[in-house]
Amino acid sequence: MSSTPVVAGRRRRRSAPGRRRDHVIAWLLIAPALVYFVVFLLYPALSALYYSFTDWNLRTTASWVGFQNYVDLFTDEVKYPHFWKSVQVTLQYTIIAVPLTLGTALIQALLINAIKRGSNLFRLLLFLPVVTAEAAVGAIWRWLYDPRYGLINSVLEVFGIPGQNWLNTPELVIPALAFISAWQCGIAMIIFLAGLKGIPGSILEAATIDGANAFQRFRKVVMPMLRPTTFYLLVTGVIAALQVFGLVYVIFSGAGRSVTGGPEQSGLAYVLHLYLFAFRYDAMGAACAMSFILLVFIMIITAVQFKFVKQEAA
Amino acid sequence: MSRAIAAAAVLAFALTACGSGDSGGGGQAAESRTLTYWMYQDRTPQAGEVVEKIRKDFEKANPGVTVKIVKIPKDDFNTKLGSAISSKTGPDVSTLDQPLVSKYAKDGTIVELPAGTVSEGTYFKGAYDTNLGTDGKYYGLPLDQTGVALFYNKKLVPTPPTTWDEMKAASEKVHAADPNVAGMVVPKGDGYGGWMFPGIVAGNGLEMADVASKKILFDQPQAVEALQLWVDLLKSSPRKITDSDQPFQNGLAGMMISGPWDVPTIREQFPELDFSVAPLPYKTEPAGNIGGENAVVYKTSPNQDLAWKWLTFITNETNNGPLADALGGFPVHTKATAVGSGPEHEAFLAQLKVAHARPAVPEWIQINDEIIAPAIESALLGKMTAQEALTDAANKTRSLLGWNS
Amino acid sequence: MRRLSIYGALIILTLISVVPFLWMLATSFKHGSDIYTKVPQLLPLDKETGEWAGTLENYSYVMEIGGLGQAFLNSVWITLVLVPAKLLVDALAAYAFARIPFPGRDKIFVLLLGGMMVPTITLLIPRIHVTQALGMFDSPWGLIVPNIASVIDIFLLRQFFLSIPKELEEAALIDGGGRMQIFWRVILPLSKPVLAVVTITSFLFHWNDLVWPLVVLNDPELYTLPLALQQLVASPDGGRAYYIMAGATLAVIPVIVVLLIFQRRILAGIAFTGLKA
Repeated sequence: MSSTPVVAGRRRRRSAPGRRRDHVIAWLLIAPALVYFVVFLLYPALSALYYSFTDWNLRTTASWVGFQNYVDLFTDEVKYPHFWKSVQVTLQYTIIAVPLTLGTALIQALLINAIKRGSNLFRLLLFLPVVTAEAAVGAIWRWLYDPRYGLINSVLEVFGIPGQNWLNTPELVIPALAFISAWQCGIAMIIFLAGLKGIPGSILEAATIDGANAFQRFRKVVMPMLRPTTFYLLVTGVIAALQVFGLVYVIFSGAGRSVTGGPEQSGLAYVLHLYLFAFRYDAMGAACAMSFILLVFIMIITAVQFKFVKQEAA
Repeated sequence: MSRAIAAAAVLAFALTACGSGDSGGGGQAAESRTLTYWMYQDRTPQAGEVVEKIRKDFEKANPGVTVKIVKIPKDDFNTKLGSAISSKTGPDVSTLDQPLVSKYAKDGTIVELPAGTVSEGTYFKGAYDTNLGTDGKYYGLPLDQTGVALFYNKKLVPTPPTTWDEMKAASEKVHAADPNVAGMVVPKGDGYGGWMFPGIVAGNGLEMADVASKKILFDQPQAVEALQLWVDLLKSSPRKITDSDQPFQNGLAGMMISGPWDVPTIREQFPELDFSVAPLPYKTEPAGNIGGENAVVYKTSPNQDLAWKWLTFITNETNNGPLADALGGFPVHTKATAVGSGPEHEAFLAQLKVAHARPAVPEWIQINDEIIAPAIESALLGKMTAQEALTDAANKTRSLLGWNS
Repeated sequence: MRRLSIYGALIILTLISVVPFLWMLATSFKHGSDIYTKVPQLLPLDKETGEWAGTLENYSYVMEIGGLGQAFLNSVWITLVLVPAKLLVDALAAYAFARIPFPGRDKIFVLLLGGMMVPTITLLIPRIHVTQALGMFDSPWGLIVPNIASVIDIFLLRQFFLSIPKELEEAALIDGGGRMQIFWRVILPLSKPVLAVVTITSFLFHWNDLVWPLVVLNDPELYTLPLALQQLVASPDGGRAYYIMAGATLAVIPVIVVLLIFQRRILAGIAFTGLKA
């Protein structure tokens, strides 16, 4: 993430007053974004950080409790019986959903990139799932996964595979959710496709002339050139997966049922757990603490990913 | 195409939108006052009409007053309410979940019912008492009351069971006759199942807890037997059948436990289904649970007098019957007449007479969702015995509440 | 043979992504209990008689009683204002971060990136307080202003701007062009692909966003489409699959239309990336 190296020779052309004018312009350009950042990101984040050290329920004034919320979250199994379960659920989901989603997206992009006729149509159709509102996605898939009337079981039964009770079997809940995430891989697909279009045909031709087959070309030329794209998608994908919320909320709620995260809390994603404490169990302070634990975790994971990539590149 | 028209439409809309946004805060000029009332979203369009009529009647009776009703889905209600209160944009008066009343009263978010607002015996005591704060004062008014009862498919279960043993036998019989049909839709270990459970336990002569002497009781044999009943019922009621959409309505289950709100919905949507409702089967004594909605007035409201006036109006002798029906429950005003008739109606009324309220503990929602519901689920999935699951849950509840005994 | 297998694979993948929509569409035209058939039935046929029984009732229900008609208009104008405004704010900032050296630039940028990682749920309540303090609570501006920039989009745009050859700008600078002229005449036209990606993703995000409108809007007249849809899904009566599917169809169709309109531009953008490299 280093900034652009400024080539000294070229810059020398700008005179000192020009530079000063540049500074003013630059500040003007970033001003709106900066104001937004301070007002809607920095201030809320600091204020949430403060609340994480308090006992607070939205209606009263917060009272300072120090590190109590953090300590209790990690150790008090009576107060927060499902905290670690929610961590486990979220990690499992991330580990299954991110590779599945990126893999699907890459395959789709490679296939579309390989054809000329109809590629527009295919791309549009494959992009469709992403554009669907979360509320609708939940509703559609709850219906598709229905053990009796659902299309998925009907299709499986055609192939002689017994139908499953997808959303009500603890072991199947995460795979079922990950499948929905892979179904919605359209954005990753478009970005991969942009990356693929960016690979010069000449390089591929050269590789072909050198006798590389399709698989070798993919491994030796395409994959390395897609590395920045893949990395970007991986980082953003992991950050998003660790925060999965809307999908589980919609899948396990509705029709008057209260959301407790599916059978045996098998779908109790971290942010859903946080949400329940914030708004259902009246413990906003603890919920803020949970969100900072998540923030630190995301930062660590991201740093590790960056380090890993740097090492690979070196 | 015609972008100009679209733009004009958008602009016009923006103007009206801003206009209506401004009037939302509850203006309080002397003559024209606006009262903002938040309630759960209507169950049906008909219910919406009932509420609308009551609103118009109130405005007619109180010239210059506008009642602004905001309807929010039940699932999202507490989220929105909490956010709004925290940013001081809450309503004047709103519906509130029964277990939240004592909580909100405790931290001074809502105001005490002014003396003389209602006279003794206006409301049924059970429902009225769900508005008690921990200090023994009243902080709201009940809107309706409801409970669950046994729905049975007349084709599959010709006579409704009255005892646990009869219920088990009936369930087994249904499933034996057709393995693709479940005996009954057994409640699950989720928040909803946890809410019904106390009613079953009470059918075996036990309360979940004794709040006065700070004792948790739901690990006693009577409660274990109640949970074992669900475990046993599950054997003749595979979840693979009952987890499909609307299993009872589609004739795939002989029985289910549900509330009065389901009766009109099923009648309308599944006219072919021949069903009726009976009181819950019991072991030692008839019993059931109680639920329903209460309404409270907020401390920040500049229109508290008007708010109480509105609440007594919607729960008066004339209005409470239709209102309760619209909310999917039964009236709480002792003189109001419940809408509806027939065997279902009788069954629910009988059920409400033997209703047991959930323990008046402010943390009960969390205990219900996070401790009792998972325990029920472990037992239903056979990961623990009913005794183990409830012992574990009771111990956790004791240490959460600090009721060590 | 190879072409055939590629098309075969694509068709299978496409079916997987499209069938849920067809299923949704089919269900939205069905009547009452006709949706409950053991053998999946795509056409709206009567469960008992097998005769045609398609209906538009579900649509009129969700439009009128579910309030989806009004919500649709709200969503349209809010995204029409928000998305371009946000794109401009982000692109201006990204340009400064990418191209104009100024003291503290990289530090500020890293700080911004840190902000990208803060879970949005953390910020929910304090953001509501800010929105309230600004007097935008329960107004459409409360949906627009608190979303007016996006760190992740600034990051994406900056990365792309960095990849544009400096020579192009240098030439314009020598010709006496100012920074802003370069931005409008050189940078933006060269950045169509990334602008397309950012526009589409932010359009999708805001068109579908549920949580923020849920907490910021009280007045049902102002509800956006996802919010109205959620009302429908969560209501005991609307828990019926055919209403939800009708509502979901209404929510999806405009997005498909937008995609169809912008299809060529996105394609041009992506193809352009190919040419440039």
